[in-house]
Amino acid sequence: MVEQATKMKRLINAIWIFNWFNSCGFTELFPLVGSRWDMERFGMIITGTPRHADVLFIAGYQTMKSIRRAQVIYEQMPDPKAVIALGACTMSGGMYWDSYNTVKRLTDYIPVNIYIPGCPPRPEAVFEACMKIFHHVGAVPPHGRKFAKAHSG
Amino acid sequence: MAEILLKEVKVIEEISAKFKIDGKVQRERRVWVTIDKDNLIALCNFVKELGFEHLSAISVTDWPQEGRFELTYHLWSYSEKILLTIKTKIDRANPIVDSVVPVWQENAQIHEREFHELFGVEFEGNEDLAPLFLEDWDGPPPFRKDFDWREYTRQKYYNKENEREQAYYD
Repeated sequence: MVEQATKMKRLINAIWIFNWFNSCGFTELFPLVGSRWDMERFGMIITGTPRHADVLFIAGYQTMKSIRRAQVIYEQMPDPKAVIALGACTMSGGMYWDSYNTVKRLTDYIPVNIYIPGCPPRPEAVFEACMKIFHHVGAVPPHGRKFAKAHSG
Repeated sequence: MAEILLKEVKVIEEISAKFKIDGKVQRERRVWVTIDKDNLIALCNFVKELGFEHLSAISVTDWPQEGRFELTYHLWSYSEKILLTIKTKIDRANPIVDSVVPVWQENAQIHEREFHELFGVEFEGNEDLAPLFLEDWDGPPPFRKDFDWREYTRQKYYNKENEREQAYYD
């Protein structure tokens, strides 16, 4: 098991991110890309395809239509993988709690590793979450988390 | 005012020579025309010949007290530079109207598909009215005024027994 953990830690030396953003969710991560917070100094890079991604960032409210695409993207990502949910709307529907067409509990649809509260979350909070991803890697089971285990964890 | 808005008045005159309409010059470059739904397609064909070849939008307004849906077609003429608004009212209980897809083709198709989904309006002659945004939707058309979305959401997504979701029922 220890060997397994070291092996996977080697896999994630830098966090490659795939963004799945709806509406204003994009602006939540936007300052991180710029020079003031500059996420690339921590090895965080945004990839263009889920096949190269270690981490899936979900932000903004998820609609019933978009969450299906998020599930497909999650399935396409190679193990080990992690999902980070940014902001109030992603986690619980936020101000859209009474909308007929938004996702109310994200864990019902996709296994989430870390929630970052806030509307929008501070960039520092996003960095802290990504630091926790490094610690989390050791705890990821060999074949990744599956949908069925989403609630038990 | 009529002297200044010559081309706007001329459009109304040209249409009212052939159709029984209620026309109004709203302001410069804005013309409103109201017609009954039976003559809608004939009017659409006619104004397309006049140069209103761009259907920029269709919108639907719900008037529950009146028992009607109001359909609004926004048309732009590149030659005259006039935005013509055609309005027609249809029965709310039996919302069937002829499709304008034969007139403006794909331009109209996506709008009609959307309003079939959101208001439940049947567009006769439009072959693809599949759901656009709402996948696996089981409720009534959500943009109707009598659709209680908050109550629908409570029943579908929340549990009153759950202590942490009590706030959604206050």
